[in-house]
Amino acid sequence: MSFKSSGNSGAFAWFYQRITGIFLFVILLLHFTIMHFTGTGEITYENIVGRLSDPYWKMLDLSFVVFALYHGLNGIWMAIQDYVRSEGWRAVIYTILVLVGVFLFFLAAVTLIPFGLK
Amino acid sequence: MKATFKIFRYDPDKDKKPYYKEYTLDVEPNTVLLDVLNDIKWHYDGTLTFRRSCAHAICGSCGMTINGKNRLACQTLIKDLDTSKPIKIEPLKSYPVIKDLVVDMNKFYEKMFKVKPYLVNDNPPPGREFLQTPEEQKLIDEAYSCIWCGCCTSSCPSFWADDDYLGPAALLKAYRFIFDTRDTLTEERLRIVNDADGVWRCHVIFNCVEACPKEINITEYISRLKLKVVTSKL
Ligand code: FES
Repeated sequence: MSFKSSGNSGAFAWFYQRITGIFLFVILLLHFTIMHFTGTGEITYENIVGRLSDPYWKMLDLSFVVFALYHGLNGIWMAIQDYVRSEGWRAVIYTILVLVGVFLFFLAAVTLIPFGLK
Repeated sequence: MKATFKIFRYDPDKDKKPYYKEYTLDVEPNTVLLDVLNDIKWHYDGTLTFRRSCAHAICGSCGMTINGKNRLACQTLIKDLDTSKPIKIEPLKSYPVIKDLVVDMNKFYEKMFKVKPYLVNDNPPPGREFLQTPEEQKLIDEAYSCIWCGCCTSSCPSFWADDDYLGPAALLKAYRFIFDTRDTLTEERLRIVNDADGVWRCHVIFNCVEACPKEINITEYISRLKLKVVTSKL
């Protein structure tokens, strides 16, 4: 097998799948606590603008997106490697997954970064 | 009591495709399934083909799928099976069938040999045995009782999808020598299992643990191997 991603063997993909998993778990806990329990009350435009004008919040949300995208797409890629044997199809699917990742990250970035900035 | 055995039959010289044949006979609850198969072969149907040798769960020849579960025929008692319905006996899944319950294990053995299933130690012999502490021994205690029956690898969904995958039996064997303090080939062994068709193809499904007739916690050892690979400099 020659078409591989994320390092040669899969060690990298395996390791970072776990790391992102742990991060996602922590961020999710934070998210639930803040959004549903201790939160700033209603989800209104003012509330959200208030929070998102804080660069730390922006960074947290952006890292949430990055970890979730890596974790999800890497998971799909692992399943693909199990069942798709042809090198050609693998290359096609891998490219699609990368493009989907880049596109979704771009969407998140253009939404998050300028949000709340005058 | 009477029990019915629904056995997978296939003779590539005669049959276009496999079929199941039922045999009903008198059995005792404490009879071992292998004895039933022998009974069928010796007294009812001499064409039935299966492998067996030791009849004591140590040679690993009689692995087969019994009511959907991979196990050794010589270690399975009739009373542990549901006799209210026909007992289904099939060859181990995902190895090519040669005839009836006999499968081609060549690819399985190839993978076993890929991980070098023998101790390598080029140090001069200490004049006596290479000693281990009880703790060091404990690391591999369970792992070395594998009898190469192939039940685990045949039960693994990752192996069904990709028969280039080393599979649980070979990875367990690799573990057994990588974690053996007397072995000196650790780094090379780690390189062999650190491959897309090696340890990373394992997705912790636990089918191998369920199948293993020696009750070895194979998935646990594969996970320890993964940890060892990412924490060592290769
Ligand atoms: S005949 Fe040897 S393991 Fe069953």
